[in-house]
Amino acid sequence: MITAAAVCPAPPLLARELTGADPVVPDLRQACLEATRALLATGPALVAVVGVAGESRAFDPRGRADLAAYAPALARQQDGHDGPPARPAGEPLPLSLGLGSRLLDEAGYAGRRELRSVSEQTPAADCAALGAGLAGLAARVGLLVMADGSARRGLRAPGYLDERSAPFDAGVERAVRDGDMTALLALDPALASELMATGRAAWQVLAGAMSGSRPAGQIRYSGDPFGVAYLVAVLTAAADGST
Amino acid sequence: MTDVPAAGPAPDAASSGTPRAQGMLRLGRSTFPPSQPLIMGIVNRTPDSFFRPGVTWDETAAMERVHQVIAEGADIVDVGGIPAAPGAQVDVSEEIRRTAGFIGAIRASYPGIVISADTWRHETGRAACEAGADLLNDSWGGYDPRLADVAAEFGAALVCAHVGRQEPRTRPFRVAYADVMTDVLGQVQRLARRALAAGVRPDRIIIDAAHDFGKNTWHSLEVTRRLGEMTDTGWPVLVSLSNKDFVGETLNLPPELRLPGTLAATAVCAWQGARIFRAHQVTESRQVVDMVAAIRGDRPPARAVRGLA
Repeated sequence: MITAAAVCPAPPLLARELTGADPVVPDLRQACLEATRALLATGPALVAVVGVAGESRAFDPRGRADLAAYAPALARQQDGHDGPPARPAGEPLPLSLGLGSRLLDEAGYAGRRELRSVSEQTPAADCAALGAGLAGLAARVGLLVMADGSARRGLRAPGYLDERSAPFDAGVERAVRDGDMTALLALDPALASELMATGRAAWQVLAGAMSGSRPAGQIRYSGDPFGVAYLVAVLTAAADGST
Repeated sequence: MTDVPAAGPAPDAASSGTPRAQGMLRLGRSTFPPSQPLIMGIVNRTPDSFFRPGVTWDETAAMERVHQVIAEGADIVDVGGIPAAPGAQVDVSEEIRRTAGFIGAIRASYPGIVISADTWRHETGRAACEAGADLLNDSWGGYDPRLADVAAEFGAALVCAHVGRQEPRTRPFRVAYADVMTDVLGQVQRLARRALAAGVRPDRIIIDAAHDFGKNTWHSLEVTRRLGEMTDTGWPVLVSLSNKDFVGETLNLPPELRLPGTLAATAVCAWQGARIFRAHQVTESRQVVDMVAAIRGDRPPARAVRGLA
């Protein structure tokens, strides 16, 4: 069963080295780290990281995100030569899983980890089934959900303004705060896609993993400094494990 | 960021073919890695320099200029008491009178700033070091060999510049080189070796092609284009390009209109690894060298968010 879940966004700028000299979002990074620590404080035997990517599958838990894909200079600094930047050895992780895995590293987690991507098009029912499967991986499973809200929250947002984004993201935040897994499961994939809310599938994996319980939700960060909704939260399983 | 070779004995030949890595540069109490370009802001204590003549002849105006260049991002303040061009004689005592006390005043106001004295004379160099100078910027190619002894005695840094066969305050007259860069490399490395032998620390020796000095415009363009051959020696390279005649002749512009050309040459030198940029317009020069440093991968952007949210 799931002992707790942490919800964090997965924008590239969560990686400190990508924003240059200015930390830009230190409060967001701190909130993500603290949410991850809260997750680990529940003593999970295994942490599953879930994030949206191009396809749905498991990744090597020793993998790393390829930040050079976002900033080629970073790879050049590591290997110190000119020419095309070197890539990390082995298969690179999708950004969402890579950032989640880094949070676990930063929080000092050295235990078992499962890295699972879910494609953006995955139907809600399939997301829920994946979540249920993750919940059954161990007696005590911690879930780290890397998911972003709408990227269409303003005129300067990456996807320009869509008026429907604010109520959509507010609905997600309310569902997370209230531990309302049914509401998360009811999110409309088509609308989410139109709103560039790339985290929809990951939230629905969370809903499947904690369905049947009503976890206590705590919002650690909610904001959209660059027109994309970032939500950081911790959900703790109800003490009796049932509704 | 990138690994930086430790400071240590410096190379003495570039013609060996294998580029030498740049190491740490020590100026005063500060240590600068190769990835950090430095701006040297010019403060003339002269009534007759070519660019904005006389504006900092008055000591109050000169100190205002110091405050300004530091506020604009200069890492080094370069104080000179004699124009490069021929003109009214300035003897040693007058040169010292113009510069030493002023250097002392800068040192009192800015304990940490690197102060450079632009002089070829060892007597002036000594007075400058006693007043707090960290760097002796000898634009005249080691004309007075005792200047290196002064640098060694005070632990100061020394600029070793190429002037061909010219004497101080003379203009080039029909100068010709079989290959100007070969001549530059030979002379600056000879001077660097002489400085080492005099006891100047290897991480405090700087080389300078000295644009316009002993060079026509074609020569200065050539050394700009091939500046990488200087950085390949491993010695830190200073360039003094600011509003000079090679820019003016290239673009057919008077001194007050040479900033864009100066900045273009600055970018080309920065790209090839020059580390110190002597400049009148500090703000603009700072922006150019910082931009090139970021393109080189030596420096991260100040703030990157675009496409990353």
